[in-house]
Amino acid sequence: MADYLETKVDKFTFKVATDRHYNSLGVWALAVGKHIRIGLSDFLQQSSGDVAFADVNPAGTVLAVGDAATEIETVKVTIAILSPLAGQIVKVNPLMENAPETINQDAYGEGWLCEIEPSAWESDLKNLLDADAYFVQMKRQAEEEVNKNE
Amino acid sequence: MSEPKKVIIVPCSGIGKSFGTVSRMAAYQVTEDDRPDKTQLIPLALLVLGDEEARAVLAENPAITIDGCQLACASKMVRESGGKVARELAVLDSYRRHRDLKPQGITELNEVGQKLAVVLAEEVDGMVDELVQEGTENA
Repeated sequence: MADYLETKVDKFTFKVATDRHYNSLGVWALAVGKHIRIGLSDFLQQSSGDVAFADVNPAGTVLAVGDAATEIETVKVTIAILSPLAGQIVKVNPLMENAPETINQDAYGEGWLCEIEPSAWESDLKNLLDADAYFVQMKRQAEEEVNKNE
Repeated sequence: MSEPKKVIIVPCSGIGKSFGTVSRMAAYQVTEDDRPDKTQLIPLALLVLGDEEARAVLAENPAITIDGCQLACASKMVRESGGKVARELAVLDSYRRHRDLKPQGITELNEVGQKLAVVLAEEVDGMVDELVQEGTENA
């Protein structure tokens, strides 16, 4: 079970799971056996809003770093979730079909998007943020959002 | 013979969000146009204030809640006010079933948002009829 770094910004509490890496957009990557599971950080899911649909690219899709792995439509926005690694999608979370709200309910657990068979994980990993670094970046982003709305 | 019960409709009170507006439009359609004799709208604000009359009505009648987001304030407040949530609806679930009807706008919903409110109201109408039927059978 993951441990979390946690911060409160205004009335919002944001968690960062410490057992995985993140790209600067808030997409996490976690090794699960030989594959890498990806999903949204707590900050990304909260700032995006309630998820209505998650269209994950099907198994077999080949991705480069930064390619759209999933398109998420929330009550506020439609956003592309960009892959933090290169590889091929080997498994799509079946919950994304009928229960995409799982992303909001359990972003670091059951709300994962897909699993990718990496093609260059060692080098991709060097370009990702560890939990501590992402936590600092996320906190700054959250504070900027709050200040913008004040 | 006892007075037939009314079905209480409690919509989302969130302002500034399209899904909340859809919730309220659907509630108005049900309580004012479609099933005025069988339903009564209770605004969430009265429950938040702890209004005694609203709580008493809730205690005696089944409620249908229409939530605008996953915070589910309407359902929570009905339960906290001692009411029974007989049916629970979320605008987002309705939208998932009708992806072509994406609501946009707040004070004035776009055309498809208005259609979503109508679709949602029709779902609520059906639930009202079911609850009234159940009430009649149990009377």
